[in-house]
Amino acid sequence: MRMLRLLPLVVVVLLQFACSSIDCPVDNVVEVNYMVKAFDGDNEVADTLKDTLNIWSRRFDGTDTLLYNSGTGVKSFSLPMSYTEPEDVLVFKVTDTLHVTQTDTVWVSKENIAHFESVDCPTRYFHQLTAVRSTHVRIDTIIINNPSVTYDSSVKHLHIHFKD
Amino acid sequence: MTRQSSICTYISRISISLLLLLASVSTQAQGFLKLQRDTVPFFRGFAVSADLVGLVQMQVSDYGQYEGALRINLHDQYFPVLELGVGRANHDYDEVTDLSYKTSAPYFRIGADVNIAKNKHAHNRIYAGVRYGYTNYKVDIDCLPFEDPVWKTNSYFRIDGQQCSQHWAEVLFGIDAEIAGPLHLGWMVRYRTRLAHDEGIIGNTWYVPGYGKQDTSNLGFSFNFILDI
Repeated sequence: MRMLRLLPLVVVVLLQFACSSIDCPVDNVVEVNYMVKAFDGDNEVADTLKDTLNIWSRRFDGTDTLLYNSGTGVKSFSLPMSYTEPEDVLVFKVTDTLHVTQTDTVWVSKENIAHFESVDCPTRYFHQLTAVRSTHVRIDTIIINNPSVTYDSSVKHLHIHFKD
Repeated sequence: MTRQSSICTYISRISISLLLLLASVSTQAQGFLKLQRDTVPFFRGFAVSADLVGLVQMQVSDYGQYEGALRINLHDQYFPVLELGVGRANHDYDEVTDLSYKTSAPYFRIGADVNIAKNKHAHNRIYAGVRYGYTNYKVDIDCLPFEDPVWKTNSYFRIDGQQCSQHWAEVLFGIDAEIAGPLHLGWMVRYRTRLAHDEGIIGNTWYVPGYGKQDTSNLGFSFNFILDI
């Protein structure tokens, strides 16, 4: 009889086992976040790129693909990174209001770290930024603010300064 | 996913509240940790047991464990317990993610149970207990080649023998019923929580020997075949 009194507890416990579910992170995009900045004396302050920005990736096989399309009034933007390449090559094209386009190339070097969550979740790659360099037609400088690229979309990884 | 998580959280809270309520009622009724004074000797022997749930899991799924336990009987009230086992997972290439996962390692749990039944010396017992568990294990993860959607290169991912470890704690509730002579059967519900863990560079592990799958449920269940000696 005493055992029967425990029956509701047993039912609740069994319901618990039905609750086990796949636990993949919902926010599972790995992107590098760029902030447009300007110097005010020695301090970096937020800035806005008034011209139009397009960004292409340059693939290993020589082809390219558009990553960022016709951004205007850009204060920040996010770009994907290659899974396993040691260095990503990006082409920045800035077009002003007179339709004059200037092109820069950016090289982002990184270490790639495979990240496993569960057999139910696809593998992602996290990255550790090691160096950034660029041509200086329109880009003044790019600074690594935080080198760790993960699921955390709030991190500002790179500060990019454009020439006026 | 969000709605399911909240339902699970809600059910978890109900279950844990019920367990605490049962413990509380028993405590008030008879003095939870007070040694009953009678003529029964303090040392009452020991019991060995085997977990059947892990055994069945091992046969019907790609993970599970072989586990045995030694339980010392002190006055039919206190039961120091040592649980030893070997946990294994062999998840072959997943149909969706193309990932395989392998591990096999021993583990142990140590702790104690208290018989919270009113009549301590009856043939059937109701247990509340705690455990500390530890395992040191190696993981092999392999993934079939997959294409980078932007850069169109093929990526390949393989980890061999990643050294991992985990400490965890369990609060449990269970029942032990005499079937015939020294043969008992019993079940236990375990609420588990990780205390510390090290998975190296890989991020997370999927199955941890002795702890189980790292999913949204913190509950475990064991069904024991017990010889009370």
